[in-house]
Amino acid sequence: MLEWLEYTSLSIWVAESIWGYPIMLSLHIIGLAVVVGIFTVYNFRLLGLFNSLEFEPFLDFFRLAWLGLLVNFVSGFTLFSSQATFYVTNIPFLVKIFSIIAGSLLAFKIQSRLQSNINAWDERTAQPTKKDHSFAVISLALWTSAIFGGRLIAYL
Amino acid sequence: MTEILIRTIEGSTINSWILTTTWLWPFLEIIHFIGLSLLLGSMLVIDIRLAGYIRNMSIMRTHDLLPMAAIGFFINMVTGLLFLMGDPARYLINIGFQIKMALILMAGLNALLFALRIKPIMTQWDPYGDTNTEAKLIAYISLILWFSVLLLGRLIPYVGTG
Repeated sequence: MLEWLEYTSLSIWVAESIWGYPIMLSLHIIGLAVVVGIFTVYNFRLLGLFNSLEFEPFLDFFRLAWLGLLVNFVSGFTLFSSQATFYVTNIPFLVKIFSIIAGSLLAFKIQSRLQSNINAWDERTAQPTKKDHSFAVISLALWTSAIFGGRLIAYL
Repeated sequence: MTEILIRTIEGSTINSWILTTTWLWPFLEIIHFIGLSLLLGSMLVIDIRLAGYIRNMSIMRTHDLLPMAAIGFFINMVTGLLFLMGDPARYLINIGFQIKMALILMAGLNALLFALRIKPIMTQWDPYGDTNTEAKLIAYISLILWFSVLLLGRLIPYVGTG
């Protein structure tokens, strides 16, 4: 199936055309900056940094981050499909994919905790708990490990 | 001129240290990626609000994120300088790198414009209101410049030299 994937017209275009690969890499770096950038700002906020920022607007920024994740899922899949048989056995790639899946699930959990606590947190009648702090730290670690894995694909 | 610079850097101790230290290069790349996430993430929030969107966030408070942008920029300046010292021949003559540096300079000037023209009057604005045309222009230019810097950096291996 992976070999079939490598021979679809899209993956051949990405692998062999002059601009296919760089275009997908470009989309992928934009998505990375948006996803990791926004989740990082919010995780810092949960940990008490940038204490002045309201919580409610982050719901909109989360939408942007999910859009970035979609861009990276699509661009990442085309990059993957151009060399599928190489990637599936590449350890850094597997670390990256695991980190992204875990990071996305956790981001979803973090977002739903934001939704249910938004009023109390913004009215300052309650604050993010130890649990929220742990989620933020784990989330930062997972996105960092996704970057580690992604970059090391080129070296290992 | 460029050739003399390249030869001087290539003969330096820091150049050989960067090239001979195992795993240093990929490690610097990873740090560079983390730095760009800090810079772009905070600029995205600041500029989107400055462009007049997401008005339920106080415009003044978004500027508390500026230290995060500055730290991201500093990390990438240091790691970027080390790339340059490690492989000057690759970067200095690369058109992608040259445009990238020019755009960073323009982003700096754009930030200066913000500090001079917008920051002093911002305190008089409704923190949850619209921004003026000049502020919007500065915000859009900032976003376009930083994302172009990102793209050019990524494309350095793919664009021509000379």
